[in-house]
Amino acid sequence: MQQIKHLYWRAGFGLSPLVWEKRRHWTVRQAVDQLFAEAERDQSIRQAIDAATSTREELTAMAEMPREERKKQARKKITANISDWVQLMADESSSSLKHRMMVFWHGHFACRILVPQLALQQLKVLEAHALGNFRDLVLGIARDPAMIRYLNNQQNRKQTPNENFARELMELFTIGRGHYTETDVKEAARAFTGWSSNLQGEFVFRRFQHDFGQKTFMGQTGTFGGEEIIDIILAKKETAVFLTRKIYRHFVNDKVDESRVHQLAEAFYRSGYDIGRLMRTIFTSDWFYAAENTGNQIKSPVVLLAGMLRSLPTEFRESRSLLVVQKALGQLLFDPPNVAGWPGGQSWIDNSTLLLRLNLPVFWLEAGEADLRSKDSLESAQKGNRLRKLDARIDFSQLENWLEGDDPVSAARKLADYLIVRPVQLPAMLEKELTRQGDTKRTLPMMLAGVMSLPEYQLC
Amino acid sequence: MKRRAFLKASAISSTAALVPAFLRGYTPQRLFNSRAEKILVIVQLSGGNDGLNTIIPYRNDLYYQNRPTLAIDRSEVLQVSDELGFHPSMAGLRSLYDEGLMSVVNNVGYPNPDRSHFRSMDIWHTASGSDEYLSTGWLGRYLDQYCTGCEEAHAALEVDDALSLALKGAQRSGFAMSSPAQLKKMTDNRYLQLVADHPHDHEENVAYLYKTLIDTQASADYLAAQARIHRSTVDYPTTEFGRDLKQIAELITADTDTHIYYVSLTGFDTHAGQQQRQQRLLQQYSEGMKAFMEDLRQNNLINDTLVMTFSEFGRRVQQNASGGTDHGTANNLFLMGGNIRQKGFFNEGPDLSRLDSGDLQYQIDFREIYATILKDWLNVDAVKVLNGSFAGLPLL
Repeated sequence: MQQIKHLYWRAGFGLSPLVWEKRRHWTVRQAVDQLFAEAERDQSIRQAIDAATSTREELTAMAEMPREERKKQARKKITANISDWVQLMADESSSSLKHRMMVFWHGHFACRILVPQLALQQLKVLEAHALGNFRDLVLGIARDPAMIRYLNNQQNRKQTPNENFARELMELFTIGRGHYTETDVKEAARAFTGWSSNLQGEFVFRRFQHDFGQKTFMGQTGTFGGEEIIDIILAKKETAVFLTRKIYRHFVNDKVDESRVHQLAEAFYRSGYDIGRLMRTIFTSDWFYAAENTGNQIKSPVVLLAGMLRSLPTEFRESRSLLVVQKALGQLLFDPPNVAGWPGGQSWIDNSTLLLRLNLPVFWLEAGEADLRSKDSLESAQKGNRLRKLDARIDFSQLENWLEGDDPVSAARKLADYLIVRPVQLPAMLEKELTRQGDTKRTLPMMLAGVMSLPEYQLC
Repeated sequence: MKRRAFLKASAISSTAALVPAFLRGYTPQRLFNSRAEKILVIVQLSGGNDGLNTIIPYRNDLYYQNRPTLAIDRSEVLQVSDELGFHPSMAGLRSLYDEGLMSVVNNVGYPNPDRSHFRSMDIWHTASGSDEYLSTGWLGRYLDQYCTGCEEAHAALEVDDALSLALKGAQRSGFAMSSPAQLKKMTDNRYLQLVADHPHDHEENVAYLYKTLIDTQASADYLAAQARIHRSTVDYPTTEFGRDLKQIAELITADTDTHIYYVSLTGFDTHAGQQQRQQRLLQQYSEGMKAFMEDLRQNNLINDTLVMTFSEFGRRVQQNASGGTDHGTANNLFLMGGNIRQKGFFNEGPDLSRLDSGDLQYQIDFREIYATILKDWLNVDAVKVLNGSFAGLPLL
């Protein structure tokens, strides 16, 4: 039971109450098979992306708007996209494993995107290869217009190379510092010259800007293009180690067991960078369920919110509600602090983010009077960054059905066991108050707030 | 809504009787009125302040040629040297300058400047090169390395709802609070006060969350109490920035156990209609700083305080077609306090005849200024904090 809970939190966003009730006695094997089969079958994410993608006519209409209006519309659209994505993560019929992997890759290939169309396009790349082959994924990103723009590959031309993309490709996306030289960066940059995008936001290879000359990269010489550069990098075992270490940190433990990482990396390398296989190995390993690897990871804001939504289906009156909370908690999708992504772990927590996290369940359940302001608005006190209330409609029906017939204290214990991965005690005063009130349905919001406000709820 | 009523009536908001007086040991006030530590105040002008229209090279023809409508007329400039003068809305700053409480450092920047707000701010906050990515801030690393004596969470305080990267360290971070009242609203959740005492296990992250919660509650109480000790008698402008500065001055005067303060004024991204907007912002800044320094002087704290004002970049030399300026590079930076060694202008103004594709060239790496502050003001080893060797400048 503990194992199932752990698995569904690390490979997803927890379970909704009724699914939890059904699956909690499953074996690990059963649950892992379910997760991968669901990811394999999933069409919901692609469909959502396609549905959100603007038609040519809509884009043309947008292009004709005055600049300020266009910016406003873009902001609105991207807000809706982000909010829809988080809602979809929480959707029972959408593959949580695939979403989890996409969020991981979104942080790995961190990219600030302001154009809604480009954000959707990049998501599509992540969706297609999240559990597939890393070569396809990294190549898709190298050809992704949003990334090309973000890392200035538009400006990478034969006469005037720009090294930004080539450097980050090695430093952050594949092999990591210490395994390449400055000359490698320069040579790789030459190989990616002409990888550009047009006004319509499509990838284009500009022949006249490309440097077809000979390059010497990581000890090999040839008239390499970008694809060959990626292959040479992937042929290095250090790349598999670098990626596996990052995955281990994200899905298993901040504290890395190097010998385990090397073992996993060896298999990852031999599989030709099969991401799905690596993840399956991790989720079916005994050590993944060891006490030192469970219930001790600080949830990222996105995992926290998607998890809350999964247990507590909520419709926000304003789509920016989720956004402002994300921002105040330090993780707004498509807006990473820089190309290195969100550092994660304890850095999610400072006095202000912790207070907000612990107060959030009450704000949420009360649709309470949060006065939230998010940071780094360039314009002073912009209206859009301020949120006085979480105006929300919460659907309690699943929880009510599940807990029907239980007295309030046992219901609250059941909830704590369902919501929190670590074993926790209910605060004595909460039990006392529940006993006094004596009605499960009536005290449900109190129970929920009481359990979700415990610091342990921040961990998974 | 019924649900709301339940919650209001529930234990979560009605446990006053159950809560013992919320007593946690925090360091009592100092017995002697002498400061062991110096105070550092960082003022961030967000959005990229146009330095050329702040400190104006009013004798430079190139300045007037590049800015046909945006240039400040020579007769309006508050002239302080043969070459340079202040924006007309900054009489307050000018008087600080005249009193020898200020040093202007020109042409501050860094190699390979980045023109994105976010990235450039990141570089200033983390004190990284433009080609490296750090996840800790320079003041955060200072707290990590040297703040051994300051166990309190509020050793470094940002007057804001959220904490800036500059103040995030690996083990220690600064504390964010827009006002004691706002913070109290969050910590006054009585249930959370009980939760802090909830029995928990000692796994590292569990312990970390509980410790942060307990420290936050203690600091919230402490800061609320400190904020009541002293009421400033100086007139501050009634802007948010003015209120923030007043808050800081009152806390400093109350001898609060905080020695780094951080505050921002935003809105400097003047791509269009710069004239009025920058004028309004510079006036807010100038009047605020004037009142703040006056307040410190009245309380005999001006020699114990150093204020540094920066912006993530300056703006292009040439104005654009919308009556504004686009993102640029090098900029001026201000230091204020009673202990400035080189009063007035530290170095010459920008050379407008030698631009780098339309942008000012930097002369002084901002990390030299950080190094100076770390070494000569906070008395620590700057190399350790900045991950590199910067000799510093004879500023303090």
